[in-house]
Amino acid sequence: MSYVILNGMYKDDSFIPEVNQIVSEEFQQMNYKGATLILHDKEIKPCLGCFKCWVQTPGICIIDDYGREVAKKMIQSDILVYLTPITYGGYSAELKKAVDRSLGLISPFFRVYENEIHHEMRYDKYPHLVVIGTLDEPNTEQEEIFETLVKRNVLNLFCEKYSTLVIYRGDDEDAIKMKIKSGLAEIGVKR
Amino acid sequence: MNKQLTFLMCSPRGDKSASHSIGSYLVSLFEEKEIIVKTFGVYKTLKNQEKTEEMIKSIDDSDIVLISSPLYIDQAPYMTIKLMDIISEVFQQGKLSNKTRHLFAISNAGFLEYYHNSLVLKIYEQFAKKNDLIWAGGLPIGAAGTYATYPIPEFLKMMEQLPEDDYRQEIYNKPTKILDSVIRSSVKHLSKGEIVPKDDLQKLEFIPMPLESYVKGANSTWPEAAKQFGAEDKLRDKPYER
Ligand SMILES: Cc1cc2nc3c(=O)[nH]c(=O)nc-3n(C[C@H](O)[C@H](O)[C@H](O)COP(=O)(O)O)c2cc1C
Repeated sequence: MSYVILNGMYKDDSFIPEVNQIVSEEFQQMNYKGATLILHDKEIKPCLGCFKCWVQTPGICIIDDYGREVAKKMIQSDILVYLTPITYGGYSAELKKAVDRSLGLISPFFRVYENEIHHEMRYDKYPHLVVIGTLDEPNTEQEEIFETLVKRNVLNLFCEKYSTLVIYRGDDEDAIKMKIKSGLAEIGVKR
Repeated sequence: MNKQLTFLMCSPRGDKSASHSIGSYLVSLFEEKEIIVKTFGVYKTLKNQEKTEEMIKSIDDSDIVLISSPLYIDQAPYMTIKLMDIISEVFQQGKLSNKTRHLFAISNAGFLEYYHNSLVLKIYEQFAKKNDLIWAGGLPIGAAGTYATYPIPEFLKMMEQLPEDDYRQEIYNKPTKILDSVIRSSVKHLSKGEIVPKDDLQKLEFIPMPLESYVKGANSTWPEAAKQFGAEDKLRDKPYER
């Protein structure tokens, strides 16, 4: 089994690396193979909105940079983890830069799914998704937005199982570990 | 003194985009009300320090900030989030003067249903809250691509030519007329320094045609678009399959 962690922290964040470390250790203890991609370190150009990943080179973004590599790692992992500071209720710019570039992982064709328009799948299998957001302190409005956002993403990304965790900067190591363990258990990852 | 508005156009597709087309239509209506408008294409602006500072100065001087952005994977694209981060940073540093500013947003989705935009409008509202902007509401636009091709006034003129019993009256003309009236009322309220009443914005909460019809129409465009690249038989390729 494999995982990939898309770490969408901003450069000066000292808390997210701690959370990242704990998540990686959990996976390693269960013999999962995988890696963390620190997105702000990578050359990833913004999506051009051109849809060429659908109609010119189907499945592959037209921009030849690390964004392609991220999309490939996303679809080739069993578990995909988004790690992000919760930003106005949503994902950080750093995480979103990579996520926008993964549009080619889905098919351009539309379908009606659960009474809404969504896309068809391009691949037969998509990873389970764990989304970990950090906040300075509890914020009900932003947490609600964040949780709904993950639900919406799951519909568009065909993840069979998913979990959403919110970690506060004030949480101590044990609390963080507990949250991460239960988030991973929700998608069936447990010792 | 005339009011000022900063228009932040957040699509990478420039003037071919729905964000440009619909945003510019609002801008033209604001200008009719003698509001001074400064427009910034966010992708170009943020590449350049001087332009970024000019944009911040314009926001500082403005009574209204208008964001028009595409919807990417259920939220704002990377560049729109980066834009919000830059404005937040300047605000947190106390570099924006004390002034009443309204934020109004247009979210442009590819899917037919308006509600794919609901969440991102809440995100813009949180951004406003963080930066002492008054959240004036937003337009959740579905099937926005239509207006990238045909700007709203042009589209309405085209529709005027249709016979009354033409099926397109119901699925295109009527919805666009409703959108036009909501836009006009939004501009009227914002120009007077008011937020847009929720009742007005809720007029956009309808689905103009059966989902299946939209799906069928959209799906016929992909092979056609791929043909020019000789990729029409590759649309379902799985290049990264394990
Ligand atoms: C990377 C990417 C992600 C998108 N995600 C969504 C989505 O989640 N929901 C949706 O309705 N449309 C989605 N779209 C379609 C755009 O929202 C739509 O084409 C919109 O009209 C673009 O606005 P623009 O013309 O101003 O660039 C996406 C497009 C791109 C390029």
